[in-house]
Amino acid sequence: MRLTPGPARGPDLDDVDLFDLDLYTGGDPHPVWDVMRRQAPLHHQVLPDGREFWSVTRYDDVCRVLGDHREFTSERGTVPTHLGTDDVAAGVLLTSTDPPRHTEVRRPLGVKLTARAVKSWEDSVRRTIAAFLEPALDGEPFDLAERALLLPAMVTGPLLGIPEKDWAELVQLTAMVTAPSDPHFLEGSEAATLAIAHHELVSYVRDWVRARRRTGFEDDSLLHHLMNVRPGGAALSDEEIALDGYSILLGANVTTPHTVSGTVHALIERPEQFDKAQADPTLIPNLVEEGLRWTSAACNFMRYAVDDVEIAGGTVPARGAVVAWIGSANRDASRFPDPHTFDLTRANAKRHVAFGFGPHFCIGAPLARLTLRVFFEELLQRFGSIDLAGEPQHLRSYFIAGMTHLPISAQKRRTP
Amino acid sequence: MAMEQKAAPSSAPISLVQEIAALWGECLGGREVGAEDDFFALGGNSLTGIKIIERVSQDYGVQLSVRDFYLAGTPTRIAELIEQGRAGT
Repeated sequence: MRLTPGPARGPDLDDVDLFDLDLYTGGDPHPVWDVMRRQAPLHHQVLPDGREFWSVTRYDDVCRVLGDHREFTSERGTVPTHLGTDDVAAGVLLTSTDPPRHTEVRRPLGVKLTARAVKSWEDSVRRTIAAFLEPALDGEPFDLAERALLLPAMVTGPLLGIPEKDWAELVQLTAMVTAPSDPHFLEGSEAATLAIAHHELVSYVRDWVRARRRTGFEDDSLLHHLMNVRPGGAALSDEEIALDGYSILLGANVTTPHTVSGTVHALIERPEQFDKAQADPTLIPNLVEEGLRWTSAACNFMRYAVDDVEIAGGTVPARGAVVAWIGSANRDASRFPDPHTFDLTRANAKRHVAFGFGPHFCIGAPLARLTLRVFFEELLQRFGSIDLAGEPQHLRSYFIAGMTHLPISAQKRRTP
Repeated sequence: MAMEQKAAPSSAPISLVQEIAALWGECLGGREVGAEDDFFALGGNSLTGIKIIERVSQDYGVQLSVRDFYLAGTPTRIAELIEQGRAGT
């Protein structure tokens, strides 16, 4: 999807189809969300097959839906791709589990991923990123979006305990989950693509755990940690380990690349912002926050209303599906003045909800922030300027806002 | 690569197709499944698929590839994959 909106065409809300994949591949969702926030902050859509869902687009409403599990449960699924089919992994997979069990499991996992814990990874992350950027320095076209798909695996592979030989396959599988209809990832039908990817990823973690049990090998990796935690006094079941491992792989792989590409694209379109960041590297942490707000790679999450609930001037009936549009909340003018302006000095950029809000706030956020900060430190130190070397191509997904291609050409910086 | 474009009639014995349909029915919560029913239309998902592939491996000694399984779609075509697996092709 376009991150810099084109001229507003005043879309007719009756015709809005938020599940139209063309809207995200070649269209322009931001003017649509702008109108929804103003005129239909609670929007109802019925799909041709009869499935229906409600949408909230304002910042405060998005936070409420994501943050209050008593009104809006995660236990019937959280991803709109599965709208209408109750999640088979509910109560087992961490993302599809409500507190108190969610809190119990999440706490011991989170200790390995705090800002303090991931700080020890900074040097290795920096070496990885330097190696990642190296091929772009010769000035030849470099497809950042395509290559960035592998970046999280390069960064988190060692931390998770995943050998390098498996990275490319796992990255392909996690991409299939996020955009099963994108021609880059489609296998057979959308349903088959999703099932193949889920199956392979869950089996991968399960086999990883079985091999560890067989050999008795132990290390400090995050997946091994899953085998040892004892939330509520009992170890996780093998099914829980496999599903949570899957979820961690997915979370690591599918969002960060798009924040990288989308933020670099924003800087290419705005050379004055690029120059500002280069002139003052202390601005980089805030550039990262503005980039997270701007790209909102996890475009939405879904919840189901437990009972009839009043929100955004309307009522969602009990058991109704509610999609909380993060990409829209992060452009809500009541929270972010001039929301469609990319401003690396934006004072409250950090208030974005790109990592979600409430109990399911991204567990990997500290590592993502570290990775992005180091990425832009290294990028700005090495590159004097960046130009587009071809047309960007957008991901065919209403769930993940991202790019499949962003050809760039970079000039080496002369005075470091 | 073998089976994608193969035309009907099926090369697998009817009895095998019926066994696979029964196995699907069992793994899908005890429902009737026909030879040409579509896995996803029946509500099949990856957790069902994991069970079925494990059972096929135990009961028939054939390890189906994950991709082949989900792209096959019907009991008839799964039975064909099992036949091919047994024949060592």
